[in-house]
Amino acid sequence: MHGTLRVITRTDGETILSAEPEIGYLHRGVEKLGENFTYKQFLPLTDRLNYCSAICNNVAYELAVEKLLGIEVPPKAQLVRTIMMELARIADHEVLVGILGVDLGALTPFFYLIIQREEIYEIFEWHHGARLTNSMGAIGGVEAPLPDRFHQKWPKMRDSIRRANDETDKLLTHNRIWMDRTIGVNAFCEEDALNWGFTGPMLRACGTRRDIRKDEPYLMYNEFDFEVPTGKHGDVFDRYMIRMLEMEESIKIIDQAYAMYQEMPDDAPLMKKVPKIIKPPAGQAYHAIESPNGELGFFIKSDGSDKPYRIKIRPPCYMIYQAFEELVKGEMISDLIACLSSINVIAGELDR
Amino acid sequence: MPRRPVVKKEYTLGERVYLVEIAKGLGLTWKHFVFNIKASFRKGPHTVPTCWQYPEDRREIAPIFRGAHMLMLNNKAQELCVGCGMCAKACPAKCITVKRGKRAEGEEAKYAGKTYSASFQIDMLRCIFCGNCESACPKNALVLGPGYELAEYDMESCIYDKKKLLANYHQAKAEGKLKPPKKPVPVDAPPAPKKPAAKKATAAAKTAPKKAAGEAKTEKAEEKSAK
Amino acid sequence: MADWQIDLIKVVFIWVWALLIAVVMTWVERRASAMMQDRLGPNRAGPFGLLQPLADGIKLFTKEDIMPEKARKILFLLGPPLFALPAFSAYAVVPFGDKIVLGGKEIILQVSDVNIGFLYVLALGAIGVYGMVIGGWASNSKYSILGGLRATAQLISYEVPMGLALLTIVLLYGTFSLREMVLLQQGTFLGFLPNWGIFKQPLGFIIFLVAAYAEANRVPFDLPECESELVTGYHTEYGSMNLGLYLFGEYVNLGTLAAITVSLFFGGWTLPYVDMSKFLGPVAYGVASFMVFFIKQAFFLFLFVWVRWTVPRFRYDQLMGLGWKALIPLGLVNLFVTALLVQLTI
Repeated sequence: MHGTLRVITRTDGETILSAEPEIGYLHRGVEKLGENFTYKQFLPLTDRLNYCSAICNNVAYELAVEKLLGIEVPPKAQLVRTIMMELARIADHEVLVGILGVDLGALTPFFYLIIQREEIYEIFEWHHGARLTNSMGAIGGVEAPLPDRFHQKWPKMRDSIRRANDETDKLLTHNRIWMDRTIGVNAFCEEDALNWGFTGPMLRACGTRRDIRKDEPYLMYNEFDFEVPTGKHGDVFDRYMIRMLEMEESIKIIDQAYAMYQEMPDDAPLMKKVPKIIKPPAGQAYHAIESPNGELGFFIKSDGSDKPYRIKIRPPCYMIYQAFEELVKGEMISDLIACLSSINVIAGELDR
Repeated sequence: MPRRPVVKKEYTLGERVYLVEIAKGLGLTWKHFVFNIKASFRKGPHTVPTCWQYPEDRREIAPIFRGAHMLMLNNKAQELCVGCGMCAKACPAKCITVKRGKRAEGEEAKYAGKTYSASFQIDMLRCIFCGNCESACPKNALVLGPGYELAEYDMESCIYDKKKLLANYHQAKAEGKLKPPKKPVPVDAPPAPKKPAAKKATAAAKTAPKKAAGEAKTEKAEEKSAK
Repeated sequence: MADWQIDLIKVVFIWVWALLIAVVMTWVERRASAMMQDRLGPNRAGPFGLLQPLADGIKLFTKEDIMPEKARKILFLLGPPLFALPAFSAYAVVPFGDKIVLGGKEIILQVSDVNIGFLYVLALGAIGVYGMVIGGWASNSKYSILGGLRATAQLISYEVPMGLALLTIVLLYGTFSLREMVLLQQGTFLGFLPNWGIFKQPLGFIIFLVAAYAEANRVPFDLPECESELVTGYHTEYGSMNLGLYLFGEYVNLGTLAAITVSLFFGGWTLPYVDMSKFLGPVAYGVASFMVFFIKQAFFLFLFVWVRWTVPRFRYDQLMGLGWKALIPLGLVNLFVTALLVQLTI
């Protein structure tokens, strides 16, 4: 449950008859601002969309602009981007599992998980200077190689992330109270999920194995060996388990990317030469990536000037939040809370 | 009502009796409890894992941290800023205002360039600390420093003028927290195409006379030196 | 000194002691929970944060007492005392220790040794339910109503398993009075086990403990006041000392339940194999038995805190299902088996 949301519910005792979500409390006009900013100036605005994993938004935007320009980034920069994005994915999932625990009453696993996010922040800070609102990289590549801190910290960090996940597992997964609270709650059909436009962990929990990193690979993902965890029933337990397993897969991807990075020479190029004032040719491009929440897409239409004509952002949780009433109808108030937490609706992304 | 898939729950016996798993969970919290009690008696900062006792212990800030701005001086204690206004143009939040002034006769020791910034204001309440101004500055004069404790009691103090920005620089220098010079990033540039020198001089003379004259002069100088 | 004067001193002492335990419990809760969560609790107000409860108390006293406009005034003001006072009064029958000899008189460390013992405690617990329900209803707010509704159902249904577990104790010991039960738990049985209630009634102990968590509104049973669903449930609209009465009343309730658990199942103020009266003087014996009782009570209070920060909470219908479909049949089975065993051994 992140952000300023409102749900108008009608209940009969504890059973929910209707739940109407109301959005727009965090609308800041990002897409309209994009029409008046240059391409380089728009990058910090993309941070503030999904603020739990800001790097994924930055990279998605940069990839969309690079698609419009028709350039491809050098391999070393792609590896740096991949590593940073997977770290951001781990950070986002940790927050989600922690907050899901807090909303359901288990207040301790949150603290065990949030300290890992602190370690990831440190790596971000030493790489590009900011912890949360990253504005990483630039259109054309990355501005710095992996920092020394990463080389020092990564061997210990992978163990500590695994340990924190194990502890959360021990406290929650086989605990009957947790299982009763999450198994069978908000179960959703695969067909309904596809009709509503779900993507990401929500869709994978319902049974469809769709991951943009595997189906339409970008940024060297087709060279890594990782699995895509898929659920069966689409209930809260499946979404929680998928996120726990995805954290493990992210660690594997970072290991492989790091091994490839270390084989590259020190002076391999990190940026592609782009002019100081970026003026893409007139045309349009859409590029989507697999953000921790689902398919995050940027559609950019350019008319040849240095400011875009139109930027449209496809937020993953907007499509999911549309189906909120379908998800919770007929369930109890406690289930509404569990649903709102497990969807990972982040108001910054929802309202833009 | 939406169609819901049938979810069958099958619990093992240990899970059905709540107490087994709860006891395991209690054991885990007990381990953390004992560890933290021992840690809280140790001396020194940051002994308990998630706890920094601010303001006595402060975290180590990375050298490239994007915090409060500062205007740099060079080795000869001259101000580097020439008042060009590139930072104001690059800023997404439009929080920088720059006014240019020409350097007078006796102020050589103070300002490095021929012009300087007569007034330089940054509204910190609007700044989003993105670093675009730092990348845009052609003289590396404006740099985002390590300051993050920026709270003030009234809004006027949050508009930093030149005096405050220079003071930030002196404070960072005294604490030894100046940014190291930026390492150039290796760029994957396509090789520059070879053009014959004479054609370039005449063609350029038609389009941009001043620039061509300059280029022709340099190329003639190169030819002379090559000869 | 006349008897009534001694009783008055005992009443005042027990009242202050109960309040002190509640106040220290707020500190223990915050520090112990912090230690389990890899952080430090309050450590600025006094050494190790020991003056934090005092600061909290001052804060609660000096806040403004707000009443919602459409709330029912008399009921709104009646709720908190109706919840807190029975919690304090239940301390009257708790056996804190054995006899102490002061000024030539033998004083029992218990305010009154009534022969209905814990029935009195159960009855007061039932009145405490009214405090929560009236507070929730009179606030005229949707969150308070839900909290009050849940409180009613939960507390009333969990009184049944508690009563069933206590009935088996009565069968075992043949008396309701708490002091006599503690006296009957001296000695050993089966040669090496102390004669405590837990070894004779393990299932009864588990049922009683679970029902005690439900009666005290602690996680995993804290639906009436859960923070993520209902903004603190039935005490959403309360501020200042009304809220203070609710919060302290909850801790005093915890203390009472811990004390009852210790008296019934853990031998009260007796040590397992040692009879302290043989080698301690009369005054020292009284103080020692008081300390033994307090240490056991402190362990159970810590157990309440420990479980709260480890376990998630139930959903409403699962909680009712646990109470009616699991604990009551278990309690009945326990009752029959105990009755059979008692009949066979007498």
